[in-house]
Amino acid sequence: MGASIVVAAISSAFGAVLIITITFLGAMLRANPFLGGSHTLAFVLSFIGFVLAGVAVYVGAIVTANTFATIVAGRTRRIALMRLIGATAQSQRREVASQGLIVGAIGAVAGLLAGTGVGAIGTQVAQRMLHLDGLSFALVQPLLLLPAVAVTLTTWAAAWVGSRPVLTVTPLEALGGSVSASRAEIALRRGRHLAAVALFIVGGMLLALGVAVGLYSPLGVVVAFGGGILSFTGLALGSTLVMPPALRLVGRMFGGSAAATMASQNALRYPERSSRMTIGVVMGVTLVTMFAVATACMKAIMAAAAGGRMPPPMASVMDSFANIMMGLVGVSAVIAAVGLVNLLTIGIVQRRRELGLLRALGLSSGQIRQMVLLEAAHITVTALISGLVLGSLYGWVAAQSLLGSVSAHAGGTAGAGLVAPVIPLVPVLVVAGATGILTLVAAAVPTRLATRVSPVEALAG
Amino acid sequence: MEITTTGLGLAARVQQLTKTFGSGDGAVRALEDVSVGIRRGEFTAIMGPSGSGKSTLMHVMAGLDAATSGRAWIGDTEITGLGDRELTLLRRRRVGFVFQAFNLVPTLDVMGNIRLPFDLDGRAPSALEKARVERLIETLGLAQRLRHRPHELSGGQQQRVAIARALATAPDLVFADEPTGNLDSRSGREVLALLRAASAEHGQSIAMVTHDPVAASHADRVLFLGDGRLTADMPRQTAEQISAHMLAADAAGVAA
Repeated sequence: MGASIVVAAISSAFGAVLIITITFLGAMLRANPFLGGSHTLAFVLSFIGFVLAGVAVYVGAIVTANTFATIVAGRTRRIALMRLIGATAQSQRREVASQGLIVGAIGAVAGLLAGTGVGAIGTQVAQRMLHLDGLSFALVQPLLLLPAVAVTLTTWAAAWVGSRPVLTVTPLEALGGSVSASRAEIALRRGRHLAAVALFIVGGMLLALGVAVGLYSPLGVVVAFGGGILSFTGLALGSTLVMPPALRLVGRMFGGSAAATMASQNALRYPERSSRMTIGVVMGVTLVTMFAVATACMKAIMAAAAGGRMPPPMASVMDSFANIMMGLVGVSAVIAAVGLVNLLTIGIVQRRRELGLLRALGLSSGQIRQMVLLEAAHITVTALISGLVLGSLYGWVAAQSLLGSVSAHAGGTAGAGLVAPVIPLVPVLVVAGATGILTLVAAAVPTRLATRVSPVEALAG
Repeated sequence: MEITTTGLGLAARVQQLTKTFGSGDGAVRALEDVSVGIRRGEFTAIMGPSGSGKSTLMHVMAGLDAATSGRAWIGDTEITGLGDRELTLLRRRRVGFVFQAFNLVPTLDVMGNIRLPFDLDGRAPSALEKARVERLIETLGLAQRLRHRPHELSGGQQQRVAIARALATAPDLVFADEPTGNLDSRSGREVLALLRAASAEHGQSIAMVTHDPVAASHADRVLFLGDGRLTADMPRQTAEQISAHMLAADAAGVAA
C-alpha cells in the first residue's frame, strides 16, 4: 500500500514540477531575443509537458493497478472468509477500491506540496545560474491542481481495475488452498487484443502520414503525434500479445543454468503481470530515447539546412531543453522501478512453497540471488531493447515530421527529403546504464526475502 | 577413534538429539534426547501421532534444520554445526526428498524436475547416472510424460516424478514425508510399493515419516516416537499390529 502512495506522490509531484518547468521555460524563451515570441515553440512546449505528465500518470496507473491486483492476491483467504460469512463480492471489491481513492488522494496532495516546493527551489536556482533575475512568471497557478486531481482519479480507477480479481474469489477458497490458473485468463482477452492491433495499425499509418506531411509543413508533427499516441496505446493494450515472445527471446540469452532457466520461466508464469510491468519500463526508455534521437535528427537537419553547421546558441538551447526533458522523463523510470520491486516481491511471496522445496533440494543462496537478479534483468533488458528500438523510431518520425520541409529544401541526406536517423551514443549508454542500476536496485529487497525462506517453514505452512 | 556411521551399517544417525523451539516459558521440546540410526538398505518408517516430533526428527536428520544439542550424521559426514552452504550442497548430492505435496517445480517439465539436482550442481549427469535415470523413468512409467508439466499430471504421477528425482543421484538416504498423504488409496499403494522395491531390489536406504499404519506396514523397520522420545523400535509389522500399538500408546499417554 505504501508503494501506491509513493507512486501517486511521485506522479503528482512530477506533474507539478513539469507545469512549473514549462511555465518557467516559456517565460525564459519569451525573454530570449533569439526565440522570443515564437508561438509554435510555446505550443510545442506545453504539448510535450502534458504528454510527459500523462506518461507519468499512465505508468503510475499501471503500477497501481498491478499493486492492487497483488494486494487482492495476498488477501484471498480473508476475502474468501468474508464471502463465506455472507459479504457480497461487490462490497469486498468496493472496500479495496476505496482504499485506492484514499491512497491516491494522500499521495497526490503530498506530491503536489513536494513538487511545488522543488519547483520553487529549482526555479530560484535556475534564475540565479542563468542570470535571469527579474524573470516574470507565476509559480503558483490553478493549473498546478490538475496533476493532483488526475493522479487521484487515475489511482482510484487503477485500484478499481486492479481489484477486479476480488469478484473471482469463491467462498470455498476459505476452506482449502487453490492454485490459480494464469494462462486461462489470457484467453478471454480477445476483444482487447483486436482493439490493440487496430490501434497499432492506425497509429502506424498516421506516423507514416505525419512523415509525408512533414515534408511540406511542420504541422506534420501533429499528425505524427496522434500516430504516436495511438500506436503506443495499441502496444500497451496489447502488451500481453507482444511482450511474452520478447521475454522468451531474452530468456534464451541468459543461458541454460538452473537459476537462469527458472528465472526466465517465472516471468512467463503470469504473463499479464510481467507484460504490464515491462511496458511501464518500456515507456520510460522509449521517451528518453525519443528525445535524444529527435534532438540529434533535428540538429542534423538544421545543420544541413544551414550549410553544414548549426548556430551554437541554437544548438545549446536544444541540448539543454532535451536534457531537461530526458531528466524529467527519468521520473517515470523511478515509478516503474517501484512497480518492478513490487512485482518481484509478490512473485517471491506467492512462491514460498516452491522456494522452500528448492532450498530443500539444494538451491544455494548464491543461486537464489542469481535467480532473482535474472528475473529482474529479464524484464529490464527486454524493456531496454524494445524501448531503444521504439524510441529511435518515434524520435526519427518526430524530427522528420516537424522539420521535414526544411530538410526537403536542403535536399535531405537520405534522398527524397528524408534524413537518415541519427542515434546519439551517449544518451543510449546512459539509458542502458540507468537500466542496469534499476535492475540491481529492484532486485535487492526481493533477494533478501527469498534467501530468508526456510525450507521447513515454507513446506509445512 | 570414533566408529563411523557406515562402520555401524547405518546411512544416517543421531546421538542424544534434542530440539527445542522457542525459549523460556513458551519453549516446546520437540525432541528429547533421541539416539537412533537409519540402517543402510532398509526401508524405515518413523511413526507417531501429531506433535510426537517425527517431522522434526526428519528435518534435523536431513539437514533441513539444526539441532539444539546432540550430534547428527549423514553417511560419515557429521552435519552438526555445518554451515548453510555445506548443508545445501549435502542435501543436493546425498539426500533425496519426497514430500507430501508441492514436490515439483511447476515451471519445469518432468525431465527438468528429475534432472534438477544435477542442474543445480551445474553439471550433466555421468553415463552411469544417465543410465540410472533412464531405468527409473522406465520402471516408474514416465516415458510418455517427459515433456509434461506438473499440472498436467495426476497426484500419483507427480509423486512418481518426485521419487525418480529423489533416486536419480543414488543418495545416502531418501527422506519421504507422508508421501501418500495426498493420494487416493490405489496411487498410495503404488507409491509405497515403488519405495519398497527401491529399497529391497536396489539397496536404497529410505526413511519415511508417516502417521498411517497401512503405509508403515510396508517398511522393514518401524520406529515409534511419542512426545519427542523414541518409544519403540520394531521390525516389520502388519497394519493391525501398528494400529494396536498406537492405540495402546495413546491410552497409556492418557492414563499417565
